[in-house]
Amino acid sequence: MQKDETLDAKGLMCPMPIVKLSKKIKEMPVGKTLELISDDIGSKEDVPAWCKRTGNELVGTKEEGGAFYYYIKKLV
Amino acid sequence: MVSEGTFDKGMMAMMIANTAASMGTEVHIFHTFFGLNLMKKTAKPKLPGMYKLFTGMFIKKMNKIGLEDYAGQIKLAQELGVNLYACSTTMGLMNIKQEDMWDGVKVLGAAGFLDIALDADSTMFIG
Repeated sequence: MQKDETLDAKGLMCPMPIVKLSKKIKEMPVGKTLELISDDIGSKEDVPAWCKRTGNELVGTKEEGGAFYYYIKKLV
Repeated sequence: MVSEGTFDKGMMAMMIANTAASMGTEVHIFHTFFGLNLMKKTAKPKLPGMYKLFTGMFIKKMNKIGLEDYAGQIKLAQELGVNLYACSTTMGLMNIKQEDMWDGVKVLGAAGFLDIALDADSTMFIG
């Protein structure tokens, strides 16, 4: 999956992956894609909800080695 | 709205608030009765009842999963623009002054907070 930056949030539990995701996306230019890695099972619901609420696009997800990978394109 | 001053109540409110603020939502928290103790700069809230003794251990476990203690949550809330309010009547009853509280805490009464809450899309009451 195409990405411009990576945020490794492994080891962090809710709500910290979301708080860090929000901070990171703010620093990135519109149109760029962030790869977020989390091993918090809650992130499976939380990340899509965050994307929906903030108007950013979840372009892909995968599960690998016990972690969840999210590809988020900054739209706003 | 937060009306109790124990660690769990304070953390619950701040974690939901910081998440909401991270989702681009405007957040306003009214602290009244024992919840006002959480607005003091010196606040080191403990778990309720017999769990009080385990507060330090609990905070250590939280730190391991990336969660800050209560003061850290307040700092994060300030950075994220969460609005914190103190109940003016409780301030008088408990003799808490503006300068005793975290930076940016606004003082108002029930009507002032209701004016904000009545226009909200969602309201929550934490203990």
